[in-house]
Amino acid sequence: MHPPTKFSLLDADGQEMQFPPRGPILLALVKEDCDTCNLTLPLLEAVHRDTDDGLDVWVAVQKTDDIPVLKERHDLTMPLLDDDALDLSYETDIDTVPTLFLYDEEQNCTLQTFGFDKHEWREIAGESMTLAGRPGVETSIDWESLPEQRPGCGARNYEPGVYERLQAIKSGDLLSRLVDLASSDDIHDFMYDQGYTDGFPVVPPTRERVWKMLQGTTRDPQDEVAIVPPNLAPITVEKVAINAVMAGAKPEYLPSIIALVEVACTESFNIHGVLATTMGATPVGIFNGPIRDRIGMNYLHGALGSGNRANAAIGRALRLCARNVGGSVPGGTDRATQGGPHRLTMNFAENEDASPWDSLAVEYGFEPTDDVATLMAMSGGPATIADERSRDGRGMAGTLAASMSAMQDPKSPMVDTLVVLSPDHAGIFGRSGWSKDDVRECIMEETAIPLKHRLRSDDAGAGLPPSVVERFGGEAALDRPVPKFADKSNIILVVAGSSAAKFSTILGGWATGVYSTPTSANIGPNGALSIRSRGGSKMDKRQSGGRDLGAFEPSFRETGTSDVEE
Amino acid sequence: MVTQILDPTDERVPIKRQLTPRPEALHGTIALLDISKPRGDVFLDRLEQLLHERAPGVETRRFMKPTVAKPAPQPIKDAILEECDFVIEALAD
Repeated sequence: MHPPTKFSLLDADGQEMQFPPRGPILLALVKEDCDTCNLTLPLLEAVHRDTDDGLDVWVAVQKTDDIPVLKERHDLTMPLLDDDALDLSYETDIDTVPTLFLYDEEQNCTLQTFGFDKHEWREIAGESMTLAGRPGVETSIDWESLPEQRPGCGARNYEPGVYERLQAIKSGDLLSRLVDLASSDDIHDFMYDQGYTDGFPVVPPTRERVWKMLQGTTRDPQDEVAIVPPNLAPITVEKVAINAVMAGAKPEYLPSIIALVEVACTESFNIHGVLATTMGATPVGIFNGPIRDRIGMNYLHGALGSGNRANAAIGRALRLCARNVGGSVPGGTDRATQGGPHRLTMNFAENEDASPWDSLAVEYGFEPTDDVATLMAMSGGPATIADERSRDGRGMAGTLAASMSAMQDPKSPMVDTLVVLSPDHAGIFGRSGWSKDDVRECIMEETAIPLKHRLRSDDAGAGLPPSVVERFGGEAALDRPVPKFADKSNIILVVAGSSAAKFSTILGGWATGVYSTPTSANIGPNGALSIRSRGGSKMDKRQSGGRDLGAFEPSFRETGTSDVEE
Repeated sequence: MVTQILDPTDERVPIKRQLTPRPEALHGTIALLDISKPRGDVFLDRLEQLLHERAPGVETRRFMKPTVAKPAPQPIKDAILEECDFVIEALAD
């Protein structure tokens, strides 16, 4: 609560009242639907009449429509000022009405109070008489008839919705361009026409909503989060928050969304390539750690699909940031040949309790208690793998391998493939005592086929060119097994979903995976605390996540890793 | 009703505006804005003459930008907004 030093408001007759006036003044702030205000307004009127011209008594009313109501109800003659815009209330930061400020002739605020405390009000009334040149003279107020104390009411400037609006408009936190809508504009049509949306309606990013979103972090709204390709435009916390509002996010999701934007814009993840590729890739987010429950993410029924706000909005917010700030628009720099529904949003949490293994985040070097989000670029899927018959790890891994051998096309080598195991499928491996590596090695072995079957042919045009035969050692190499996957670490295993049935999901990575490496952030209150590329050490957020790997040639590898090493 | 939103983009591109609804009839005052291109005044003189002939109740008021190379100064925009109901701008020579 700060006594005001200067303001200007209109009175009930539309006359401008400049504060401070020349002499002493008693200033009150009230609202109509407050019993304590109604109890005390006659007291203020009495002080006004008793002090005559010796002291000004001004009452600022928090709503225009309440001024004539109060004037008539209490037969008021003192000036009633219109603070409907709540400029004065905001400046003084009152949280209770009535609030009183008494100023002497030097414009020093000598006494102040809020609510009704008879002792304090009596002191203020007495001091008012003194300042008016009538020291020792009692006011006409019948103090005996009044209660000792009455609590005040919440000031309108602190009402839900109003407080956010005032902060959004007056705090100076928001610097983005304001877009005015014509009265004839439909907000949803307008936003679609401006190119702001992914095709679905978005939540209009009003200043109030964006300000509320920014309460999800303590980071300065004007802090630059990243440079977003392809436009290489800087994105501030405020811009992330605007797109988060549009995506339907809640403030508690904002640190995760900031972290994902930071991860996406590393060279390691390479969002430029992910969204520009003709293969139609998209960032897929996987969450680990306590944050999953803290923000209400779904890792049970339907985890990969619709119905959960956090899952849906976080992934969508990242896509909207890439679209609106990065300028990635289908047909523009987004050259996806077909795309897929997962390009709207694909973001889920791992069902860690149902997994027999370490979580993805722990596998990538984080602690189980860390809040971690990992982005990986996926262009294919999700495709369902159904196996209700396997009872041991070997059978289950064989089913996965048979399905995965045809990814992209049966002849072509792959790098990253995301296998999202249902709890029932993961449980089979757990009961068989199979580690993640056991599963991967089995899949590597099962998906390796003779070189001759990976070559292009007249029957199926895709596959390796015949020229590779010489590089493998000539005709003798034709029967040599060539793996589908460059390395076992390219088979990414996570667990999600409920134990409803024995169905799992696979998603194919983008363009062999080397152009975009799975990249993770340890999420803190202001975004990424640290960022780590798979197989690599921690890196600076802006630092390149990868060195020049050159063209990936999985068919020439027999052992080794394709991990990016920082 | 939502009347203002914050721009979610990098703000490199101006907002595409819808045209305000077209009036049923001319009335009040029309601003004739010369942008300082050569012969803009000739065009506006003729236009003003035709307006006075065909819409006798309508007043006209002339404005001129100091230079063709820059947007109209705020005082000119304010004056047009305050004093006029319509504006016709002579764009080129």
